[in-house]
Order: sequence, then C-alpha cells, then structure tokens
Amino acid sequence: MTGSRSKSIVIWTFVITALVMLSAPTIVVLGASFTAGNIITFPPEGLSLKWYGAIAQASDLRQAFVRSLIVASICTIVSIPVGTLAGIALAKYRVRFARSIQIYLLLPFTIPLIGSGIGMMLVFGNMGVLGSLWPVGIACCVINLPFMIWAVTASASNLSPDLELAAANCGAPPLQRFLYITLPAVLPGVITGSLLMFILALNEFLVSLLLVDARSVTLPVQIYNSIRSIITPDLAAISVVFIASAAIAIAVLDRLVGLDIFLKSK
Amino acid sequence: MPAASAERRVSRESIAVSVRDVGMAFGDVHAVRNASFDLPKGKFLTILGPSGSGKTTLLRMIAGFDAPTSGEIFINNSPVSAVPPHRRAIGMVFQKLALFPHMTAAENVAFPLKMRRHDARAIPEKVERYLQLVRLGGYGGRRINELSGGQQQRVAIARALVFEPDLLLLDEPLAALDRKLREEMQLEFRRIQKELGVTTINVTHDQREALVVSDEVIVMEGGRIQQKAEPVHAYRSPANTFVANFIGVTNFIEGVVAARDGALVSVAAHGRTLTGVAVGDAPATGGACAGAVRAEQIRIAPRADALDRLDTVLAGTVADAIFEGERIVYEVRVPHLGDQLVRVFDHDPVNHLQFSPGDSVCLGWNARDMHVFKK
Repeated sequence: MTGSRSKSIVIWTFVITALVMLSAPTIVVLGASFTAGNIITFPPEGLSLKWYGAIAQASDLRQAFVRSLIVASICTIVSIPVGTLAGIALAKYRVRFARSIQIYLLLPFTIPLIGSGIGMMLVFGNMGVLGSLWPVGIACCVINLPFMIWAVTASASNLSPDLELAAANCGAPPLQRFLYITLPAVLPGVITGSLLMFILALNEFLVSLLLVDARSVTLPVQIYNSIRSIITPDLAAISVVFIASAAIAIAVLDRLVGLDIFLKSK
Repeated sequence: MPAASAERRVSRESIAVSVRDVGMAFGDVHAVRNASFDLPKGKFLTILGPSGSGKTTLLRMIAGFDAPTSGEIFINNSPVSAVPPHRRAIGMVFQKLALFPHMTAAENVAFPLKMRRHDARAIPEKVERYLQLVRLGGYGGRRINELSGGQQQRVAIARALVFEPDLLLLDEPLAALDRKLREEMQLEFRRIQKELGVTTINVTHDQREALVVSDEVIVMEGGRIQQKAEPVHAYRSPANTFVANFIGVTNFIEGVVAARDGALVSVAAHGRTLTGVAVGDAPATGGACAGAVRAEQIRIAPRADALDRLDTVLAGTVADAIFEGERIVYEVRVPHLGDQLVRVFDHDPVNHLQFSPGDSVCLGWNARDMHVFKK
C-alpha cells in the first residue's frame, strides 16, 4: 500500500510540475494582458480591458493580423490538395522510391528554418515577388507540409485495401472510388492536417521575417518589431488573441473529427 | 442429331460461370493451375481448401481483381478477362467485409444502386427491402461501427445482393466469427441463396461450412482442383488421399497392393492383409498404396466376438479418450499396424460402454469402408 502511495505521489508531482511549466507562459501572458498599468507585469496591476481596446484601435496590428490570416489561408489551401494526394499515394500505392520520397519530404524539418528561409528569400527575390503575401503562404506550406502528409498517411494507412475493391465490385469506376470512398475515409486526416497547417502558418515567424517587407509584415513579425522599441501590455493582449485563435482551431478540430484522431496521427 | 445439339444449347445457357484452363502465375509461382469447371445457374458452389491452395486467387480472378495469366473465364457465356470489375454484375462479400466506414448501413446498401445508376426514386424502398431480407429492417440509419459483427455481416450481404447480380461471391466472410454465430450465418446464407436463387461461389477452409451450405464442392490444393462433387459424394467417395484427409477424419494405412479382384484390393501392411475398395486409377499389384478408413466407420468393442460380422478386426490399446459432447474420440494404438494410432468415433457416448486409456479393445470395419488410393 505505502509503495503504491509513494509511487502515486511521485507521479502526481511530475504531472503537476509539467502542467505548471507548460501553462505558465500562457497564464503570465493572459494575466499581464488584463493589467491596468502601462508596463507588462505579472501579477497585473489592477484589472482592465484597456489594452484589448488599444489593439482593436491599432490599425497596424489589425492589418498585420489580417495579413497573417491571409498567409495561413493560402498555406492551407495549397497544402490540402498537395498533402492529401501525396499522403494517400505514399500510404496506399506502391510508389517507386517511396522511401526516398518520404525522406525527401521530411527534409524541410532537418534543414534549419533560417537556412530554408534564406533559400526561399533568394528564390522569391529573383522572381521579384518579395513583398506580396502569397510567397509567404507558399513558404509556410513548404516547410510545414510534412505535418499534413503525416496526418493524411495516418488516416490512409488504416484504410483496408479491400475498400476500393469493394467499391469496384459495387460498380464504381476508378474516379468515383477515389471521390466516394478513399477521400471521405481519409477526411479526418485532411481536416487535422489542414488545421495544423493553418495554426503553424499563422504563428510562423522566422521565415515570414525573411520574406516580408514593411508593407507586408505579418503579426508575429509586427510583434517582434514592437518588442524592439517598447514593451507595452498591448503585446500581451495580442498574444492572448493569438492563443485564442489556436484554441478555437483546436475546438473546431475536436468538433469535426475528435481529438483522438489528432492525437493518434503520427 | 438436331435433338442432341438443342439439348446442348439449353445446357450451355444454363451455365452461369465457366472456368476454362485458368492459371495464375506470379513469376515461377503458380497460385492456380489449369482450373476448369462449370457452374449451373442458381447453384451454390463452395471452393474448399487450406490457406495457400489458390482458392482465393481463383475467386479474385472471377471478381475481376486479378487477370488470369492463362485460360479464360466465361460469365453467362461471355469471356470476361477484358472486363474491369466495376463492369461485371457480381456481388461480393469480403473476408473483412470492407463496409464503407463513413456511411450508414442504408448508404452502404444504396451505394451499388447509385453507382449502377438505378432510378434514384426507387433506391430507398429497395434498400429497405434488402435490409429486411437480411433481417435488419429499421437498422438502415445506424453507422457501421454501431452494429454488431453479425449485423455487419448482414449489411455486407445486402450490399452484395441489392443490385440483383448474376453471381454472388463469398470470400470467407464467416472466418472471423465465433462458432455459434458462424453456424447461424451459414444457414442464413443458405436461406437467402435459396430465396433469391442467385448463383453463388463461396470460398472457405472450413469443411463443415462447405458441407452444410453447398450444392457442389470443389476441393483445391496446391493450385489444382482435386475434386468437384456434391458434398455427400465428396465425403463418401473422396477422389484422392488429400480430399479424404481434408474432409472428415480419416485413418490412412500404408502398404502395397497384394492382389486385385475387380474393385476389391488386398493391401499388405505390416505383415497383414486388409481388404478394401479401389478408388480412381488404383495401383497395380505390388504398387504402393494407402487404405483410408473414416473414424466413424470403425466399430470399437471390448472383445473381438462382438465384431465377428466385420471384415477386418484388429486388437489395440486405448491411448486417449477425448470427450467432445456428442461423441467420444478414441485414439487406439494398434500393434498389428506398426503401433499406428487409429482414431475412432463413438457417436453414442451416453448408452455405450466407455473405455479409458490403457484398456484393451478391438477395432473392426467392413471392406467396403476402406478406400484404397494410389500413393
């Protein structure tokens, strides 16, 4: 009895420590954003929503937020067809060099972001498109695509190969088999991957920093620029908005496909 | 002559599936060799064989998932090798059912009708009719994962039958079920098949299932068809030692042919001569052979005088007695057969005297119950 009690004490200590460490930054930012004072402090000096009012008024932050949403949307829209098809192909069909392709698709993870960021800066710079938002969206898609492919392959490899044969047996020609059977069956993976891509692109800082100019700053870059001048509680408030966006995305995910699929995907 | 050709034409039209010299080779490995058979319309055929015997490969070729590397398959007298699976009017129940997980039971059953462009207004009524046929009336709205294993089976059957296919294929769909449910579903398959009269090919490794459900049985081994016969015939007169061993419980006594007298063969084994009936092209005198005796054809008694009307009587010692409820299986060690263990069924364990390991017993059987095969 005492053995199992001391074991549970140790385990609970670990769990609580981990939870505190994980949530501490969020709690600090959340608390600081409600301060009535003029500098970021925790615990906050008094409670007010004035910094939320301030960011709602600040057109540069608002515009940067909208730009980040546009970047995230472009990234998601591009990654859905690309990631879905690549994921299904890798999981379901005997693709030649499948292993090499898989490793190749993981490369964006192994290269430091600063490296791939500079590479893309050179490419887009040569094309003369720096300053537009779509290159940022494409860049986010490229560096985060493995997440999308993982989510889709996790769904697709659970699929029985008999499903397509059964559909053929039911009279469905190849295209209908894909549209009515394969695609809906991997849809949970596609939704998971898309939301993940959206959140990652919304938060992407380093690559955005290299690809934006003064007219096209995204929100993380805007916040970074502000930190370099003065640190005011409006940054905490905008961070809370950020966190809330991610939380909403997670909630949507849970409603649509259930978090268990998200947690199971490799 | 005209009468004969007319008769021939009629018989041709009554054939649903004709398999002609069909072979399937993966490189040097022959999964199926020279398979040929005709299946008349409305019949229930079971292809029976151990795993790796080529039975599933043959079924997949009929379904159109694989193309034969030699030979041709005819469905309703048309060659089908060039016809893709979705253009064949074949319903199939898969081993793992392959129900569409994102659809309800009714949507699963409606899918073949939609894909085959049936009149959309008639679909719901037809789906409900087939769900009722498999005794799932009212379950249409359930998701697949809300149904039990037996109910999922029934959805798969309804989906395979709803578009009134020319042919129904069953790829061991009962293999994963527990025994009680499996036996219930076997009778269910038989009932539905008789009700609709649909030509059916079933694949299984379960000899009991083959005997229970089928009008005809094909036994396959090593990619070859070993025998095609009605279940009773396959059981009573197996074509070779493989079939004799695969269907039922059979004791094999190896020896050489000592003498032949018409169908009767004298087999010399372990210094004794046993009489049996030759099967197929039985060996000539002096050739190696195997005498096969079914476990239920052997009588067991405490003394030889109780068996004096039987042709062959041998003494032995009970090595094991296995109580299986409706029967007892005795394993008897017979010194005259080189200490071979002979399996014997006693189907009346309630009224008969029971033996224990170590008891001395006598075994006896009739000459006509020993089939002699060439080795």
